[in-house]
Amino acid sequence: MKFPSKWALATAGLAMIQSVAMADDTVKVGIIAPFSGPFASYGQQFKDGIDVYVAEHGVMAGTHKVEFVYKDSGGPNPAGVKAATQELLIKDGVKYLGGIVFTPNALAIAPLITQTKTPTVLFNAATSIINTKSPYFLRTSMTLPQVSAPMADWAIENGIKTVVTTVTDYGPGIDAETAFTKEFTAKGGKVIDAIRMPIQTSDFGPFLQRVKSKAPNAVFAFLPGGAPAFAFSKAYSDNGLAQAGIKAIGTGDIDDETTLQGLGASGIGIITSHHYSQAHDSPENKAFLAQLHKLRPNDVSNYATIGAYDGTFLLYKMISSTDGGDAAVKSVEGMSWTSPRGPVKLDPVSRSLDQNVYIREVVKGADGKLENKEIATYKDVPDLGMPAH
Amino acid sequence: MSHTLKTALGVIALIALAAVGYFGLADNLAFMTQVVIMMIFVLSLDYVLGYAGISTLGHAAMFGTGAYAAAIFATSVSSDPILGILAGAVAGGAIALLSGFVLMRAHGLTLLMLSIAVTEVLHELANKYSGITGGADGLSFTPGPILGRFEFDFAGHIAYIYSVCLLLLVFIKLRVLTASPFGLAARGIRESQARMRAIGTPVYWRMLLIYTFGGAFAGVAGALSAQTTALVSLSVYDFQLSAGAVLMLILGGTGQLWGAILGTMVYMTVHQIASSVDPFNWLFIIGAMVLIVVYLVPNGLMALPALLLRWRRK
Repeated sequence: MKFPSKWALATAGLAMIQSVAMADDTVKVGIIAPFSGPFASYGQQFKDGIDVYVAEHGVMAGTHKVEFVYKDSGGPNPAGVKAATQELLIKDGVKYLGGIVFTPNALAIAPLITQTKTPTVLFNAATSIINTKSPYFLRTSMTLPQVSAPMADWAIENGIKTVVTTVTDYGPGIDAETAFTKEFTAKGGKVIDAIRMPIQTSDFGPFLQRVKSKAPNAVFAFLPGGAPAFAFSKAYSDNGLAQAGIKAIGTGDIDDETTLQGLGASGIGIITSHHYSQAHDSPENKAFLAQLHKLRPNDVSNYATIGAYDGTFLLYKMISSTDGGDAAVKSVEGMSWTSPRGPVKLDPVSRSLDQNVYIREVVKGADGKLENKEIATYKDVPDLGMPAH
Repeated sequence: MSHTLKTALGVIALIALAAVGYFGLADNLAFMTQVVIMMIFVLSLDYVLGYAGISTLGHAAMFGTGAYAAAIFATSVSSDPILGILAGAVAGGAIALLSGFVLMRAHGLTLLMLSIAVTEVLHELANKYSGITGGADGLSFTPGPILGRFEFDFAGHIAYIYSVCLLLLVFIKLRVLTASPFGLAARGIRESQARMRAIGTPVYWRMLLIYTFGGAFAGVAGALSAQTTALVSLSVYDFQLSAGAVLMLILGGTGQLWGAILGTMVYMTVHQIASSVDPFNWLFIIGAMVLIVVYLVPNGLMALPALLLRWRRK
């Protein structure tokens, strides 16, 4: 009897050592985002989202300890991002990637993540085509067609028959214009003029004068968030478009929470469509904001914060239940959960989120600050930009 | 020491340096490939700015055009990388020649502004004709194997060796160009255009030719960058690229090929280390480094040994 018991003891000991080793093992996640330069606010919002999730759920995902390795991408910089990704994969040995704001940066790393079977969660990059370039891309943001088309539906339902579109003349702007126009004309609306504004424009007066002279029911706008969006909405009120009965509608990029307060009184009444508003009324969002304000009292949450928060949720899910690679992607495809933004589902085909798109109006909230108040909801909108749809 | 011997020693030193990088930092080859590409680009700038004194903040125009040319050539004609590099060189040279007709008539600040303007125009064209260039999303392509044999691999071995070979070729070519009577004329133009004109040098045409050659080398760097990334986006026309190259050149020392190489190496290494230690505030370190070097060693790092010797003698 002596010998077997010793044997059993040894096996038990080995098993214990193994389990300790398992508990000890660290899974690294590379986060690629702009932390310097004009787009650094994205990096900060991402970090907020990740930090809130970690504060709520701890550093352990199942039996694995999760460690984030941050890499600064600057702006659109495919060559630099590709090199940084190679370094993360080879030198740092990361098993997962996350972040990515710009489409060319995502496209540049597609071959790398396919070769190494590295699940990569896009917290922002919003061109539909990205996910077709590698089966390891998952996306927790949105795509422009997804949020532009519901804006057109709402416009039709609310008696807007004629629109002038004004978009910034670059990839995402043209995507927004195309998606809006397609949906709006299909439902019987009429786009009487399509204006593309150069990306460097800072004075939007002439464009809005042109809009005014066409006298449409509404002007649809897409501009990159920040200074341009602010200048646009200021020019909208300065040129008296509201008095002329021309409504301002657009995607949520033009009034996201990081720039919203800067719009001041000129912002009130602007209607936008997006998948997340800080003012979204749900217990999940309240808990999320409470945790955020505990960590960073002065920060606000916007679409980038929520993209990173849900992205971190996906990363934790994959890390806790699989050893990475194909199995990791399989394990989350088709999954549904309730995010602070509302109910979402990771579509197994597009690997983007099917989610509610909210129509919001800029109003003065109870605390005297501006907020995006949700006034209508389009439920479970898929990524309308995928070829399949 | 004869010029040929010096060139040979320079090539050996470069190969030694590349080998140290290859074996010493084997898991960082992607980053070092970036450094080598940047070296080619800064060398081409040194030829234009350092040797001939043509002040420009728009060297990215040629880099970007070379990059797009290589990508478009790969998707529409042949995916052979070496032919792609040639296409990049021709395109870079052509755009330099075309813009040079106007630019080389200007001097000083006017020239600086015009060189920036040319890059901006090309940036906007690439944005506008997104059917050809892929616009803001970028243009992806797959470069074929080099010489029909060597496939670009995941860890970046082939890309690194390929880039180093091109660096050596560009280095040798520039050594020859700068030591030739044509190169001496370039230095003469930098020192005094009036005197060169007085001894009968057609200054305008010489400068145009120098700018075209410089553009072709910048095109090589752009094409190489496109091939190793397998994607080109609008960022190849970024003002930051032009300005960064000038900064690296000043850091190392203008008017000497080793200044370009040293400046690029130091700048990019500090950049790499600082941005991985602190990805949030690394720009501060870079700024401080450039300030200190430019303040204490205004002629660049290449002047450091002579400066130290002088201090010791005092």
